[in-house]
Amino acid sequence: MLNYLIRRLLYMVPILLGVMFITFALFNVVNTPTQMAYRILGPKASVQAIDNWLNNHGYLDAEGQKIPTYFNTAPGKSLFDSLYFRSMKRFATFDLGTSFATDEPVLGMLKRGAIPSLCITLPAFVVGLFLSLCASLLLVFVRDSLIDRWGAVLCVAGMSIPITVYVIFGQWIAANLLNWFPAFGFNLEGFSTARFIALPVVIMIVSGLGVDVRMYRAIFLEEVRAEYIRTAQAKGASHARVLLVHMLKNGMISIITLVVAALPFLIMGTLVLESFFGIPGLGNLMTNAIQTSDFGVIQADVYLGSLLYLFGLLITDLCYAAVDPRIRLQ
Amino acid sequence: MNGNRTSLILSCTLAVLLALAGCNNNPHPRPLREKRADGTPWVVSHLRIPDDPRSLDPQFSYDTLGHAVIAQIYESLLQYSPFKTDPYELEPCLAEGMPRRIKNPDGTETYEIRLKRGVFFHDDPCFPGGHGREVTAADFVYAFQRIADPAVECPVLSTLQEFVAGLGPAYVEARKAGKFDYSKPTGAITVRDAYTFQLHLLKAYPQIQYWLAMPFTAPVPREAVEYYNGKNGRDPFKFHPVGCGPYRCAEWARSRLIRLVRNERYSATRFPAGGWPKADDARFTSLAGAPLPFLDEIQFAVIRENIPAWLLFRQGYLDRSGVGKDVFSSVITAGQTLSNELRARGITLYRDVEPGTFYSQFNTDDPLLGKNLRLRQALSTAYNEDRANELFGNGVQLKAEQLLPPGVVGYEPGFKNPYRTQNLDQARKLLAEAGYPNGIDPNTGQPLVLTMDVVASGAEDRQRAEFDQSQIEQLGVRCKIEENTWARFQDKQINGHFQMNTGSGWNADYPDPENFFFLFYSKNVPPQGSNYVRFSHPEFDRLFEQMATMDNGPERLEIIRRMNGILVEQCPVIYSFHPVAFTLNQPWLARVSSNPMLTGGLKYVRLDTALRAQKISEWNRAPAWPLWTLGAVLALLLGYAIQWARKQNV
Repeated sequence: MLNYLIRRLLYMVPILLGVMFITFALFNVVNTPTQMAYRILGPKASVQAIDNWLNNHGYLDAEGQKIPTYFNTAPGKSLFDSLYFRSMKRFATFDLGTSFATDEPVLGMLKRGAIPSLCITLPAFVVGLFLSLCASLLLVFVRDSLIDRWGAVLCVAGMSIPITVYVIFGQWIAANLLNWFPAFGFNLEGFSTARFIALPVVIMIVSGLGVDVRMYRAIFLEEVRAEYIRTAQAKGASHARVLLVHMLKNGMISIITLVVAALPFLIMGTLVLESFFGIPGLGNLMTNAIQTSDFGVIQADVYLGSLLYLFGLLITDLCYAAVDPRIRLQ
Repeated sequence: MNGNRTSLILSCTLAVLLALAGCNNNPHPRPLREKRADGTPWVVSHLRIPDDPRSLDPQFSYDTLGHAVIAQIYESLLQYSPFKTDPYELEPCLAEGMPRRIKNPDGTETYEIRLKRGVFFHDDPCFPGGHGREVTAADFVYAFQRIADPAVECPVLSTLQEFVAGLGPAYVEARKAGKFDYSKPTGAITVRDAYTFQLHLLKAYPQIQYWLAMPFTAPVPREAVEYYNGKNGRDPFKFHPVGCGPYRCAEWARSRLIRLVRNERYSATRFPAGGWPKADDARFTSLAGAPLPFLDEIQFAVIRENIPAWLLFRQGYLDRSGVGKDVFSSVITAGQTLSNELRARGITLYRDVEPGTFYSQFNTDDPLLGKNLRLRQALSTAYNEDRANELFGNGVQLKAEQLLPPGVVGYEPGFKNPYRTQNLDQARKLLAEAGYPNGIDPNTGQPLVLTMDVVASGAEDRQRAEFDQSQIEQLGVRCKIEENTWARFQDKQINGHFQMNTGSGWNADYPDPENFFFLFYSKNVPPQGSNYVRFSHPEFDRLFEQMATMDNGPERLEIIRRMNGILVEQCPVIYSFHPVAFTLNQPWLARVSSNPMLTGGLKYVRLDTALRAQKISEWNRAPAWPLWTLGAVLALLLGYAIQWARKQNV
């Protein structure tokens, strides 16, 4: 078990290096630092201003020369004295650096955005999971009936509609028809924060319901054909008991792998929802960083995202082994 | 047990319903106060800002977003007159009068400036006792030192160092030393006394007056810059502005809200005593000389997407709105008036021409287009700007026939550019004179091929590129489109790696012809400046040098007219349009100034809070029927499920 854990942790290193390698290529080779400086300083920026910006953001060495992206082949310099390895050294000590647009420490920006993001993602995740489990159990129960077929139609429709449509439609209803909640905005004001998060949470649940219900339904369908279900039914267990005790428990083994892997991502927020509702979370931060070419924030966010993803997978495997006695980690 | 569960469900439902009933759809945080000290209502204006400014440091910020906020917090020596827009005029703000220009025998110039007394910085913990001290000449010395400090990254240093003494050497020295030495004077300013100083220029540059109206030269208290250093839990200075303007920044919740509150000690300016259009006499006469600002609080809500911003405006939760493309057709009629629905709500529409010009560029260094004047003229004559305006500008942009936009000294109303009204016969004739009859290159017998660079970031950009391509190809010439990201496009402009491109333009930094003609001055070819077309014309250069340092008058106007003539005849660009902006004001927000250069104009704005409250309650009634409908649907579903379950014997 311990060996397995150490091995998995070590696997993370090359994966992280690879992810960051590609991110670096996108922002230093495809989109050069000079282009990035123009994006940030605006089209009227002078050459002197660009040079000064590059210097202040660590792209120039003491002699005013550009530092190579990956490997430094200049005579007398270390091969690893490059932008990539300098960044990696920083990230290894969890120094996330600063935003290129505002020079704020990225760690502070992430801390500030985590709570608003969780305000949306956590309730949406919990309620969404509950609802999709209920709906999928119901569909399995009435499988091959008219309700099941219409359920499939609704689910596929729900999956196919982009979240932006839900958002625009939801805001339109909120602003023109109901006027119960603000159609936009966010304010952490205790209990009444609920009026700001109600609409985005509902939209997040509804938009995710289609995928989850289809997925869980497929998992439960596997189970419903298993012999232990037939045995339970033969022993006279009620439908409700068969569904909620026997099948749900066994189906959860597969569902846990999906759910646990998604957990770390709750903190990263949602890109579209946060942007449209003005929720100052991490999704909003990332959308804005992409739009403004703020590489400082993007690379920290990608690093953190990759790390969370890898940990999510690791925890999933551990949970899988914990809940299913047939699985052994070696 | 069952009874307990039912009552639990019922009480939960009741709690949710009560919570819903207590909800309101006002998205804004509470104002700082409900009433003023004298018991009158506290007046808050709610405005949209499409993003967080990168910084509120006046010496650093160079974008419209930043300036929209900074100009309310900081004031400069001069400001744009709220009512004089044709041409735009400056008037004193922190200065007692207009700066006195002194021409020195060695060709250098000095401006002597006297400050108003009794102007104080905002109260802030960075000052002893928390009370803002008086603004003095030393604060301007400090502001100009900051312009030269590499750590501040002042974006206009490269321009100002050409004209203001000492800035360039101070910057170079600081870059070498790795730190700016604030104990050493830069030589830009000599202090005569606490309220008088002289600004030294290396050469004649009357446009410096416009720079004295921009936030870059606004006074900054050294105490604030040193106190707000980003350490010990304090914000960096760029996030905690301390100025002497009509508003102080009370809160900046990133990605959400910037809250400005009235500066109680503001005294630098008052409502103008006159100068407004005759039609506004009734509105403004009683306000003449009134103390400013009128609003107590301004909440800038950060709203990045247009759709929610429009919804909030319709609900009455934003006092002002632009007209986005997505809603344009439902707001503005074909006759460019406001739709009946919005007019019935009491909303007012304003149409303003912005001081900018957009155009397509020819690279005059290009071996083909650079040498062939007739070819450039032919392409310009073929282009149908009116159609482009209909297709891509909702038919509202003002067609450009000259470089200078309206309001800038030298703009000639009614001027007709002979190459800017589509005339295909004339264009074909010019093309034949250019050596390419019917667009065929006689050397190859094939159509002439031109390459056009465009920025392509979406479907509309591509449609626009196809339209531009069709305008050229109607002459028989082939046009290859090269799609670029914005950054790549910019890169090509700077390095001259393009033949022609579209979608470029210039918005005035200041409304002087020099700020437009310098785009075609041969010494401004990148990397020195922004002459991306690499235009080089000795007579134009000579006239530019002469015009740039002259005071306005008939002689200058004549030179400007000749320069305009050269550009029209030489066709280094195909003029497209001067941008037009539409603004919608709610019935409770009366407009004061239409000057787009006056970014700090919120101090003149008043609003009727009683009317706003009344309209908001009218426009935001929460109907109960959706709730009942939802309840009925849920009850039906539940009933059906119970019945079905009984049948199935679950």
